[in-house]
Amino acid sequence: MSAQPETAAKTVLICEDDANLRTLVRLALGDGYRYYEAPDGTSALELARRIHPNVIVLDLMLPGRSGLDILGELRADDSLAKTPVIVMSAWAHSDEAAVKAGADRFVPKPFDPDELRDAVLAVLEDDGQV
Amino acid sequence: MLALLVAAAFGVLVYAVTTLDDATKRERHAKAVTAQTLQLEKLVLDLDTGLRGYVLTGKRDLLEPWTSARAALPAKRDAFLDLASTSPGERERARTLVDEIQQYVAGYAEPVVQITETNPAASRTDIVRLEGARELADIRAGFASFLDKENTLAAARTSAAQRRSELAIITAVSGLVASALLIIGFGLYLARSIARPVREVADGAARLAGGDLTTRLDPQPHGVGEVEELTDAFNQMAQRLEASRRELEDQNERLRESERAKSELVSVVAHELRTPLASVIGFTSVLLQRDVTADQRREYLGIIEAQARRLGALVNDFLDVQRLEEGKLSISKELVDMGSVVREQTDLFAGQSPKHLLDVSLPKTPLPVHGDSNRLAQVVANLLSNAIKYSPQGGVVHVEGRRKNGVIRVSVQDEGVGIPKELQREIFGKFVRGHATAAGIEGSGLGLAISRSLVEAHGGSIDFESNGRGSTFWFEIPTATNG
Repeated sequence: MSAQPETAAKTVLICEDDANLRTLVRLALGDGYRYYEAPDGTSALELARRIHPNVIVLDLMLPGRSGLDILGELRADDSLAKTPVIVMSAWAHSDEAAVKAGADRFVPKPFDPDELRDAVLAVLEDDGQV
Repeated sequence: MLALLVAAAFGVLVYAVTTLDDATKRERHAKAVTAQTLQLEKLVLDLDTGLRGYVLTGKRDLLEPWTSARAALPAKRDAFLDLASTSPGERERARTLVDEIQQYVAGYAEPVVQITETNPAASRTDIVRLEGARELADIRAGFASFLDKENTLAAARTSAAQRRSELAIITAVSGLVASALLIIGFGLYLARSIARPVREVADGAARLAGGDLTTRLDPQPHGVGEVEELTDAFNQMAQRLEASRRELEDQNERLRESERAKSELVSVVAHELRTPLASVIGFTSVLLQRDVTADQRREYLGIIEAQARRLGALVNDFLDVQRLEEGKLSISKELVDMGSVVREQTDLFAGQSPKHLLDVSLPKTPLPVHGDSNRLAQVVANLLSNAIKYSPQGGVVHVEGRRKNGVIRVSVQDEGVGIPKELQREIFGKFVRGHATAAGIEGSGLGLAISRSLVEAHGGSIDFESNGRGSTFWFEIPTATNG
């Protein structure tokens, strides 16, 4: 287990329509974060604008507005444009589209919990937050 | 026809040439007659000259012209008669002339010669002289008249021959000109009725060979039968070629479409399988790698089991969809009581959800249809399962089976979340789930697609109604008659 940051817990916004996978993301990242969850794109966007999370884990296949759509809005929003976003998807070939739309990392589903944890740590480090 | 005309024109031309030739011959003959006449006249004059000299002088040697002329006369006379015999009139005139000469020679000249031999003085009397002069004058007038007649006749004959000849030549030339015009006309007709259509067919064939299968030839109203047949055959061939190519293109397009649909399905299936798989693998990893409490372990294993089952159900649904789309799903056609099917399924579902009340309404009589009881049960189960899943707050689910206008109708009504307007059009499509996932409602998104295919395979139809509060789904299958 990696050492948890001593400072105030970072906030993670999990945007995923499958409740089991939201639980799994929390388990993968561990207890060192404060979690916010959204089951669809619209509520994810509202939540992000309110809490300004340190990192966003975003599924692409969402009911209503798609993950790519949400990513585009985040990047167009000055206060959220720099927020690291990790895109998760079961779509095999969506990594390119995700990176093009402004994703920092792409994690294919199914994923290994450690892999997701490392990806979150890496983007936080790149962002100078760790 | 044309050959006859040309032959006639040439015949007329030959006739004209013959006529002309004939006229020339006649002219030559007329000249010969004239010459003969003149010679005869000269002979008569010689007779007269000799006679006169002898009578005046009594010298016998002066009678020489008489003697020789007298000797030549019969032959000359016969030749003249022979020649001047082309028409009865001419022969008559010649005979008269010859008779006059005969009269002169036998009736006057010869007696005068005899008188002179015996009594020269007597022959020199005025009476004798005047008589001779008169007769000779008559003969000469006869000659003049004959020649005149002969000339007139010859001239008339010549001009008639010339007229005939001219007429014949004009006729022949006109005939030839008409033939030439006809030949040109026939040539044009050939060009118009054969050459041009054949050229058009050739051009059309070239365009066809070049790939333009829409090529068609205009019908040939002036074409001869064979050309018309050729044009028709060409057009039929082009039409058949075009039709078969279009068929091939359509087939190709359908193949491409089905290929595209298949590859899309594969990609969707992969996505749909990965989502539960993500839970299975993720929670398994957590269990293997992290320290968890006994409660957590039970919870995670429960999730893993549920997701693994979901995977299994998904695989079954995919296979059903696949078989239905390929028409390979075998539907047995036995007599089925729809009422029993509905009752069995509602009994199964009744115990599953304490929050829902199933209100079943069935007639006492059977609801007979021809079909596959397992597949019909699958449809009813799908509608019941949807009704329960999409009314998470619970409530009453009304299930009704009844006869209606030759069909058996089964309807399932819930008091749930309903179907959003934007989803209503595609609700029977594959992988259409709306907000179900977000709301935590599980499913493959294939249930209604499979149900519709199954109902349609039974010759029935399926539809729904949803406005705000809850939804009603129903399907209708033709009633089995005399089952």
